[in-house]
Amino acid sequence: MYKNFKVIETSLEKLKDDIKNFYDPSKYHFITINAIDFGNGKVNLKYFFSKYDTMEEPIAFSLDVTYEDTIPTITDIIPSAWISEAELADLFGLKIEGAQKGLFLEPDSPPAPLRRS
Amino acid sequence: MGNKMIVPFGSQHVALPEPVRFVFETENEIITNVEVDVGYVHRGIEKACQTKIGYKQVAYVVPRICGLCSISHNMAYIIAIEKLLEFEAPKRAKYLRVLAHELDRIHSHLFAMAHVAEAAGYENLVMYLFRDRELVMECLELLTGNRVQFDYGCIGGVNRDLTPEVEKELRKKLKKLEERLFWFRDVYLNDYTLNLRWKGVGVIPKEMAEKYNAAGPVARGSGVRTDARAEFDALPYRELGFEMVVYEDGDIWARNMVRMDELLISMRMIWNVLDGLPEGNYKENVKGMPKGEAVCRWEAPRGELFYHVRGDGKQILTRMRVKTPTFSNIPVLKELFIGANYADVPAIIISFDPCLSCTAR
Repeated sequence: MYKNFKVIETSLEKLKDDIKNFYDPSKYHFITINAIDFGNGKVNLKYFFSKYDTMEEPIAFSLDVTYEDTIPTITDIIPSAWISEAELADLFGLKIEGAQKGLFLEPDSPPAPLRRS
Repeated sequence: MGNKMIVPFGSQHVALPEPVRFVFETENEIITNVEVDVGYVHRGIEKACQTKIGYKQVAYVVPRICGLCSISHNMAYIIAIEKLLEFEAPKRAKYLRVLAHELDRIHSHLFAMAHVAEAAGYENLVMYLFRDRELVMECLELLTGNRVQFDYGCIGGVNRDLTPEVEKELRKKLKKLEERLFWFRDVYLNDYTLNLRWKGVGVIPKEMAEKYNAAGPVARGSGVRTDARAEFDALPYRELGFEMVVYEDGDIWARNMVRMDELLISMRMIWNVLDGLPEGNYKENVKGMPKGEAVCRWEAPRGELFYHVRGDGKQILTRMRVKTPTFSNIPVLKELFIGANYADVPAIIISFDPCLSCTAR
């Protein structure tokens, strides 16, 4: 299923603690957050990391959420994550704590264009 | 209390090559707060690639994301798909991919360095850089058929082989270009005006670069050892002489020197490709439908480009995500502005070599 990256399963409740325990900014580079909408109301989120200066597979924290869930922000752990969270809020219409809206879409754009349902 | 002013910068501005908008709050010309808007050129490319376009055709769509690093988008995507299909390209194709990729880095870095020189008011250096960039543009045209928007890579290899005639021409042009690169390095190292304008300006300490996850020459100019060519198994960079360039100073000068030295490393890798190009196929047929998830981390000229693809055994992918280098560098750029002098804004922005058509997609 996952061809060239490692996946650590997590949940909405454990997400922040898992990332906090794992992430060391001097060792790991936070790549981005990606969402996959399966069209059944469920969205899979993956938080990608890679290790500096080492030929190792990227690591992803994976969890499933719904459109109605409020997703905790990780910007208190990784300040640069605000831009990834803003993108998810714009393109998928996900509710993420404190995420800025309208950064990637103009006011006349269709809302949440990457949603499948 | 000083003079408080709100200064809009962009989305159209003489110092900006692409549309991005900053709103600076300043006090006595020192920036106290900044807001950013990066979405002026959102084109919905990801949506098109996962709803309308077959996975093989996507390889010819993603290069349109960016004119400067189109080959990076093309190759990062095809490598992600090849990982998904568990296919390994022939060695000759891998070498040719490195050749095109490093030529692309040279033209992009020369372009970025010219813009930074322009922001410093050094116009004759801009002209020299653009004139000599023509040599590498001609090389890319000879190799790929196009000056920009090269659809060189394909799933299974590359679309064109390197003929002996083209190789001969490439060697001639590259020899001339290499001589010029050494001259540029001398200018960048020793020119009094450039050093005065760039040293100590826009400094990103290493801790800040790590905290805000900077990418590419911005991170390496601040002493962070990160380069996807050393961290992700995409192409045989190491055996072709890749070496990571890192400067500790973190200022505009250091970011430029990273680019400058990377030009010479790219040149070394290109000579090694030309001298040791393996015999064999440059392309093979790939069968199967993409099923599962794969990623590709790719060192584009501006930094880490990241592709994440998911297929469910159909022609059209379920998800195709692109994370570009400028997307990663916006948070550190925003933070860097706080406390900076407003007069340094154009030089700081240009030293990041931002690409908004990549970021907004």
